[in-house]
Amino acid sequence: MDQILQHALNGVVLGGTYALLGIGLTLIFGIMRVVNFTHGELYAFGAYLAYLFVALLHLDFFLSIALAALAGFALGALIELVLLRPLRSNDIDTVMLVMIGAWIALQNGEQFVWGGVAKLVPSPFAQEPLVIGPVSVAPLRLFVLGATLVLLVGFYWLIDRTRLGMAMRATFQDRDTAALMGIDVRGIYTLTFALGSALAAIAGALLGPIFLVNPTMGNLVGLKAFAIVILGGLGNITGATIGGFVLALVEEFGAGYLSSEYRDAFGFLVIIAVLALRPQGFFARKARVG
Amino acid sequence: MLRLDAITVCYGKVPALREVSLEVHAGELVTLIGANGAGKTTTLKAISGLLSLASGSIEFEGVPIANTRPRDVLARGIAHCPEGRRVFPELTVRENLAMGAYLRRDQAGIADDLERIFAKLPRLKERIGQIAGTLSGGEQQMLAIARSLMSRPRLMLFDEPSLGLAPNLVERVFEIIAEIRREGTTVLMVEQNALAALEMCDRAYLLETGQMVLAGAGRDLLENPHMRRAYLGG
Ligand SMILES: Nc1ncnc2c1ncn2[C@@H]1O[C@H](COP(=O)(O)OP(=O)(O)OP(=O)(O)O)[C@@H](O)[C@H]1O
Ligand SMILES: [Mg+2]
Repeated sequence: MDQILQHALNGVVLGGTYALLGIGLTLIFGIMRVVNFTHGELYAFGAYLAYLFVALLHLDFFLSIALAALAGFALGALIELVLLRPLRSNDIDTVMLVMIGAWIALQNGEQFVWGGVAKLVPSPFAQEPLVIGPVSVAPLRLFVLGATLVLLVGFYWLIDRTRLGMAMRATFQDRDTAALMGIDVRGIYTLTFALGSALAAIAGALLGPIFLVNPTMGNLVGLKAFAIVILGGLGNITGATIGGFVLALVEEFGAGYLSSEYRDAFGFLVIIAVLALRPQGFFARKARVG
Repeated sequence: MLRLDAITVCYGKVPALREVSLEVHAGELVTLIGANGAGKTTTLKAISGLLSLASGSIEFEGVPIANTRPRDVLARGIAHCPEGRRVFPELTVRENLAMGAYLRRDQAGIADDLERIFAKLPRLKERIGQIAGTLSGGEQQMLAIARSLMSRPRLMLFDEPSLGLAPNLVERVFEIIAEIRREGTTVLMVEQNALAALEMCDRAYLLETGQMVLAGAGRDLLENPHMRRAYLGG
């Protein structure tokens, strides 16, 4: 029983960051319809920036994570403005090839700048795990969980409660009519890509101190993000949130009870099952957004 | 007020409109008639900035507006109520109306306009919290009209407002449009329902395969032999 609780807690901690990644990609892939191969690289970018700010520049840990998110936002905006906006009227194959190119370029750039040796991001939290009843958890992980929950709530507030969020939803539902309402739809697209990228970067910055940072870390994470988006139904933000937690819990329990070597495989088994049984995803809605 | 001068609009290389000219004076209700695919929607989209021109010009109150962004056209006072209603299906009625007032910042004025619209269309008030996609077709059309009014336009473009509605609702929609005009908003309306449109308008234009073939006062066109034969059933 204690073991179950422990795995569940670990899964929830990981699930929060998976949810951030999934939401970011469901905005870009599910709603903007850009097959975004750079998503995993934005995650790696965020992790490397956390390393740069904390380990090399000795900035405050929390400030560093915020800066990494801002930098992810800026890089996302740049990718959209330079690569995607001029291609808006091109077909999906062209856009896909360009995004594959961007993925390779970003990954090789990381390799070039940082070298192939994995980096460790130091954290200000004590190593001693906190024991809470039957479970124990590292303070850093508790912080990551708290931060992801705050971000998730903040994101929902932005989308559901603000004028900007309403304009985003209107644009996703009907681009031309949104333009007729006076919404700057091109601006909304840039903002959406930037926001999705920032979510990936902050996930990387949060997990950087837990795992090691290396140039190819984005590959597996990018794949998982696609898996989460498919699990949750394309373009479904709540689906991506739930999908993120589900994937993390499956990995955690699979690793705990079946085989830790196949940890990453369990998630993909779930995806294959979902695609075979319910290809529209678990939380697909009847009327699609976007 | 609005002047289209020999506009040509293409989809890719194919022209959908060829040298179309049209004028709307302040206070008028002008209607644009034509068969399926004649280019009526294309004309309205060119005015509201959703499409750009291959040649020609569009002036609104003396200012050229062709090839600007839809938001600039809207800011000048032209609202476009699109074909097929196009309410935002997953936004509530309230949110749809708020989108109509997206460019406005005068909260008090927006609240006043909402009250006036609810007085006209009480059904919308009852459904204020409902998701727009769950409204009936007629309610969605009322919402689309109300949403366009929320920008306080001086010129309203309607694209087939009666499309797909039951006869009693068609009548109601035309009543509302006539009322909007009486209250001082100029109207340019696209319709396939030629008889009703000609009866209620001041002037009308007839578009056939991308070219303007007839123009005149509504009652004159009602008598026109070509119009009678092709659009009024004999
Ligand atoms: N997005 C598009 N791409 C290519 N061709 C188009 C597009 N939209 C319209 N057309 C073509 O342009 C011509 C004019 O279309 P338009 O929609 O303006 O007609 P309409 O008069 O509004 O017709 P309807 O009564 O069916 O609404 C048609 O031949 C149509 O096939
Ligand atoms: Mg049309």
